Amino acid sequence: MDIIIYGIINSVALAIMALGFALVYGISRVPNFAHGSIYVLAGFITWSFLRTLGFPYFWSVIITMLIVGVIGALLYRFILIRVRGMAISEIIASYAVGLAILEGLRWGGFRGMSYTLPVFAEGSVIIGGVPVDFQRIIMVFAGVGIFIGLYIFTHYTRIGLALRGMAQDERAALMLGIDSDLMAVVSMILGAMLAGLAGILLLPLGNIVVEAGYNVLILAIAVCIVGGLGSWAGAVLAAFLIGFAQILTVVYLGSHYQMVVALLAIILTLILKPSGLFGMQKQLEERV
Amino acid sequence: MKRTWLGFLMVVLSLVLMALPAKAAAAAGGDPIVIGCPLSTAYLYGWDAERAIRLAVEEINAKGGVNVGGSFRPLKVEVMDTRDLEPGVPVSEALLAVEKLILEKKADFILGGPVRSEAALAAMPLLSKHKKVSILSTGVLTPKYHALIEEQYDKYKYCFRIHGEAKWLVKEILTCLGEIKAAYGLDKLMIMVQDVAHARAAGKILGDLAAKSGWTVTGTEIYPTGTTDFSMGLIKAIKTESQVLSLWMDMPESSILLKQWYDMKVPALPFGSTLSAAEQPGFWKATEGKGEFCLANVVNAGNAPSDATEWTMKFYNAYTARWNIEPEGLGSSSSYTAVYALKEAIERAKSLDSDAVVIALEQTDMVSPYGRIRFTPKGHQVIPSLTPEEGAVGSIFQWQAEKRVVVFPKSIAKGTIQLPPWMKKK
Repeated sequence: MDIIIYGIINSVALAIMALGFALVYGISRVPNFAHGSIYVLAGFITWSFLRTLGFPYFWSVIITMLIVGVIGALLYRFILIRVRGMAISEIIASYAVGLAILEGLRWGGFRGMSYTLPVFAEGSVIIGGVPVDFQRIIMVFAGVGIFIGLYIFTHYTRIGLALRGMAQDERAALMLGIDSDLMAVVSMILGAMLAGLAGILLLPLGNIVVEAGYNVLILAIAVCIVGGLGSWAGAVLAAFLIGFAQILTVVYLGSHYQMVVALLAIILTLILKPSGLFGMQKQLEERV
Repeated sequence: MKRTWLGFLMVVLSLVLMALPAKAAAAAGGDPIVIGCPLSTAYLYGWDAERAIRLAVEEINAKGGVNVGGSFRPLKVEVMDTRDLEPGVPVSEALLAVEKLILEKKADFILGGPVRSEAALAAMPLLSKHKKVSILSTGVLTPKYHALIEEQYDKYKYCFRIHGEAKWLVKEILTCLGEIKAAYGLDKLMIMVQDVAHARAAGKILGDLAAKSGWTVTGTEIYPTGTTDFSMGLIKAIKTESQVLSLWMDMPESSILLKQWYDMKVPALPFGSTLSAAEQPGFWKATEGKGEFCLANVVNAGNAPSDATEWTMKFYNAYTARWNIEPEGLGSSSSYTAVYALKEAIERAKSLDSDAVVIALEQTDMVSPYGRIRFTPKGHQVIPSLTPEEGAVGSIFQWQAEKRVVVFPKSIAKGTIQLPPWMKKK
């Protein structure tokens, strides 16, 4: 029972971490390597509004979401737009921005273990004989809510449909009058807000540290590569595969192997099926 | 006309700038003695050591500096980030920092780190090559360090360590565990360690010795640096009915473990060693009180409030006044003491010559914030003790009602160990 419960929790956490990265890549084909830094930045911004400025938790979260959304838009309009279409340059540029944010935070004094966000609800319950705290339960429900919300947004709204059109065929979308750059900006805003939301949901479980940005980026990349770059459904499935694999590894092999799981998943995917589980990008080339 | 004025101003400014250091040097009396500090500055065991070293240097300089054969010379601190506590950073980074301090910053002595055991061991040949006297004062706990000095004394005689090491720590922990066993009847121990050399080694030694002391060791969990979920390990602790969790981890994520421990109401007392998350005064606020009852070994007295010696609270208060925060981690009191030990050794040697200072350091016998300071003759390891009159005394505290209360050793204890309310008394 504990494997199932914590397997689900771990998987949903991974999916939340990776969804923003998968979304941006799926729509604009931009690998946003600043994803992890936005995750951490959102935590520190919320902390600053909450602890330093004394704002209520709810408003701190709302303001943070707006700020990271703007950061995502600015990142695209001023940096990524100039290198769009040049994959290596996109990676270098976005990674450099991510590095600047993380090391800038460290340089600015955001170091140590005293930066924490309060949990949304205190306490824990016993589910099937396994103790689970409320924050993790909230995180799971919030994760499911995010997936459903994203599905509705991309299937039943004009912008969402335009985003899907871009993701499926950029040229055809352009012929239908969809503004490619505008959609890329929208995807960056959404991606950044999802990264921020992931931080706000997951960081209350521990503390806000700069190093988390690097870990989140690695996990998001692992999930997206295994699921297939650009596939949101693949990302969710991969999150569950890696999430459960990590928990099983802890139980049957030992805790110190759990970090290897994500990296091993990347290597195996690249050797056996480089396009990932649901990746459309290179599938045709692989068949040929 | 404007350009002429601008040029004139530039010349005046340059002259003022050139004159400033000369004036400062003259006021402090001669060339400064450069103390190179290779520290992982983004981490607790790096910045607490840096602050303590700077405090000691400021105090010494305010009193005129170091008397080197009759002439008083000020101390100057040069800090370089080794990044050795950061996950994934290779040891070579720390070695580069040590070499830069020696070659570029012209450090006369090395104090503080490197902080990670692996890095400190790797730096030993470098220190030997440059004949630089080094006093480790933070982080490094591996017994291999002083064992190597003892084995190859002529080569590594320039290396000293002024804080406790893993073997002694294990002995202290076992004694403290014995007190817990006697008081509450607890006898099942689970070991949770970080995947780094000193923690793995200490975990193994502790497990073996605890088993010999009548404890049932229910398991050992090894966590890679950066782990953010400890739930499965804690569930194992519940399933195996563990009553004490021995935690050896210096990664910041260990506070997640303690939050999870509280949320899951795990009926086992957390007992941390090098548990940097719990050592800091801000831990209570950071965990919103969830870390209450957590025990933490801060290696030496002075890193938590006690009356080990007359100097303990004097140092404690001076640090608090200077940095606006209490001594935070295991590297505070020892790094502060290292500067004074070096000062006294230089004054005894009457020179900065490395070989002369080594001999003088070997003769060290001084009182510090954590007791009497002497080094073992060949291993250059500070001599530990359970009483401050005999040697360097350790310090284990427990978080109780927002405060760090020293509970071990008895000679300096300010309170007794308490159990969380969800742990039934046997």
